[in-house]
Amino acid sequence: MLKIISGFVAALVLAGVLAYSFMSSLMFWEIPSPFGVEETAARIQQNIQNVGNGWTLSGLRNPAKAVEADGSNTLPVMMVEACSTKYSGPILKDDKVRYLSILMPCKISIYKKNDGKTYIGGMNAGLMGKFFGPMVGEVMGHVAEDQAKFVIFDASKPAPALIRGTPGAAGGAAAGGGGGC
Amino acid sequence: MLSKLKIALSTLVAGATVAAALTAYATTASAPAAANAAPPQAAMPAATAEPAKKESSSTADHSKFKALQVKFKTAPEVTKACLTCHTEAAKQIQKTKHWTWEFLNTETNQKLGKKHIINNFCTAVESNQKFCTACHVGYGWEDSKYDFSKQENVDCVVCHESTGTYRKVPGLSGHPTYKDMEYPPHSGKIVKAPDLAKVAQSVGKTSRANCGACHFNGGGGDAVKHGDLDSTLKDPPKFLDVHMEKKGLNFSCGACHMTSAHQVPGSRYTPTVDVNQGVPPHMRGKVDGSNPASCQSCHGSKPHPAKMAKLNEHTDKIACQTCHIPEFARGQATKMSWDWSTAGQLSPEGKPITKKDSGGHNAYDSKKGDFTWEDHVIPEYIWFNGKVNYTLRETKLDPTHVVKINSFEGSPTDGKSLIWPVKVFRGQQPYDSVSNTLLVPHTFGADGDSYWSNFNWDKSLAAGMKAANAPYSGQYGFVKTEMSWPITHMVAPKADALTCAQCHSKDGRLKNVQGIYMPGRGDQNKWLDYAGWTFALLTLIGVIVHGAGRIYTHRKG
Repeated sequence: MLKIISGFVAALVLAGVLAYSFMSSLMFWEIPSPFGVEETAARIQQNIQNVGNGWTLSGLRNPAKAVEADGSNTLPVMMVEACSTKYSGPILKDDKVRYLSILMPCKISIYKKNDGKTYIGGMNAGLMGKFFGPMVGEVMGHVAEDQAKFVIFDASKPAPALIRGTPGAAGGAAAGGGGGC
Repeated sequence: MLSKLKIALSTLVAGATVAAALTAYATTASAPAAANAAPPQAAMPAATAEPAKKESSSTADHSKFKALQVKFKTAPEVTKACLTCHTEAAKQIQKTKHWTWEFLNTETNQKLGKKHIINNFCTAVESNQKFCTACHVGYGWEDSKYDFSKQENVDCVVCHESTGTYRKVPGLSGHPTYKDMEYPPHSGKIVKAPDLAKVAQSVGKTSRANCGACHFNGGGGDAVKHGDLDSTLKDPPKFLDVHMEKKGLNFSCGACHMTSAHQVPGSRYTPTVDVNQGVPPHMRGKVDGSNPASCQSCHGSKPHPAKMAKLNEHTDKIACQTCHIPEFARGQATKMSWDWSTAGQLSPEGKPITKKDSGGHNAYDSKKGDFTWEDHVIPEYIWFNGKVNYTLRETKLDPTHVVKINSFEGSPTDGKSLIWPVKVFRGQQPYDSVSNTLLVPHTFGADGDSYWSNFNWDKSLAAGMKAANAPYSGQYGFVKTEMSWPITHMVAPKADALTCAQCHSKDGRLKNVQGIYMPGRGDQNKWLDYAGWTFALLTLIGVIVHGAGRIYTHRKG
């Protein structure tokens, strides 16, 4: 009996350590970008507008500006926000999972690191969705498929202009309307 | 077999338990308290009375001077009026680099300065004086026949006026606009002619805006050349520059570049302070020939407090700027490359074109070629002992390699060098493919030979080299070039200085700095590693053998 309990405890610890170690890399992804921060953000915006499935831009945030306003420095970060009512609608209509609105709009972060290179980070919507039942899992699976298309770049195409405003929804997600969720 | 099954089962149950716990945690654990319906009360605003206007500490109000209460038609007339009181000012100016655009580097015997070097931005002054001398502290420099001795040609007000209305537009040979004009041409932007009397009466100490009128716009525009000098420093917030922050120390440029008889110390030709020669660096108030425009002039060579004494052990090898300017161009993007070889593309109608990048910066101009821009640039780091060698017009170059317009000398063993941050500006520019020397293009002018009027390199280069009185084979190519700029402005708040791990790590900031052993960087000595691992292995064997011996003797009784 002692062996079983100690084996269980040891396995519990092992599983915990493994989960702790791999949680961040499972829940979030990060890939390098061949472009600078602004161009990467602009190309992602363009991809979002072209991917279909009701995706629209909700906003462009720059959290680094708040740090600067506080008198400090940080490397550039831009967050492209996008939403599709095709995917947000079913979740927002279901009381059981409506709290998942905190994950809206979908965000993709573009940032520079200390190696001088630009990276793109995002949430693993597919895996995350599986935690919250079959309906959310299916919706988030589609979101993940589209997200993958947001970060496919065609370098032969000229760099588009960065859309700094919030098309159709001033104030990012707060204002609703055609531009966001 | 049974025990293996038990372990496997235990693992499975444990894993499921952890997953269930995590899911529960994700869905419930961090639920916040019910939202408070009442919004937090806004802080009461502070008194909104306008701050009292700061009184000038000057003993002279120039608006009361009769000599300045006249209707000036030209800027040299203003200078004549200035000189009626400031009798020695023009003579002093005429001995400075700001006037001569010349600098003799006594260490290398190279004649430098804008008048002589060819850079990889706008390239060269020769044949383009009318345009470039918008940033000359004088009037009327049109060609190589310019009279450098004429005192009324000195421009006093460009450095001392405070109206902000005085603009020297390129193309006017250093004169301000005397009538309203559209600049840049066809832009629809009108540069108003300044009221020269008001300008003259407004003079005072040189401000950041005065210096910045040229130094923020070096290389042909705002933020083009230096990377650590641009218009965001006119009124910089704290994150951008702790010394110049308006609400803080509010330094003018002259606070560090402490000027005497109009000689402004500290330039890229002599940017360093020698901390390793047994001679203390220049300190304020001390009269000597050393450079007062350095960090050490105020902070000394051991500036960190006792609890951070380890940092003081770095100051003999690391320039202050390396840690305290973690990135440059933090206020706006700086130009990082310029490719002249792609210039000359025209629209189907034969008109010059421009293109912008995603951030809205000029990415292409028919007159100049392709550009790239970047903000928050991580500097490159080099050993630098203060000595710079230039590739001049007559210097032979190797077109199969990247040509260094300026080479910074330094090594970890010369006892003088520090690790410095630099902006490396890269580009392609014309060279004589027969003599393998850099060429002077004639870019500006309505004379039919200038590149910006006809987009013809043959005519432009022939005219440029003729004006420079230099030989040209008539055959040209484009060579890749690099020019380095020491980074020394935009000092960040101390909390934003580089941390230890940003350098002492495998892919850290100093990964390309050669010649020193740096802990944490992955610097390895193969034999030392072998020896270390051998000792570790022997120790492990010793422990195992010893432990086994103990167990054996214990069991044996």
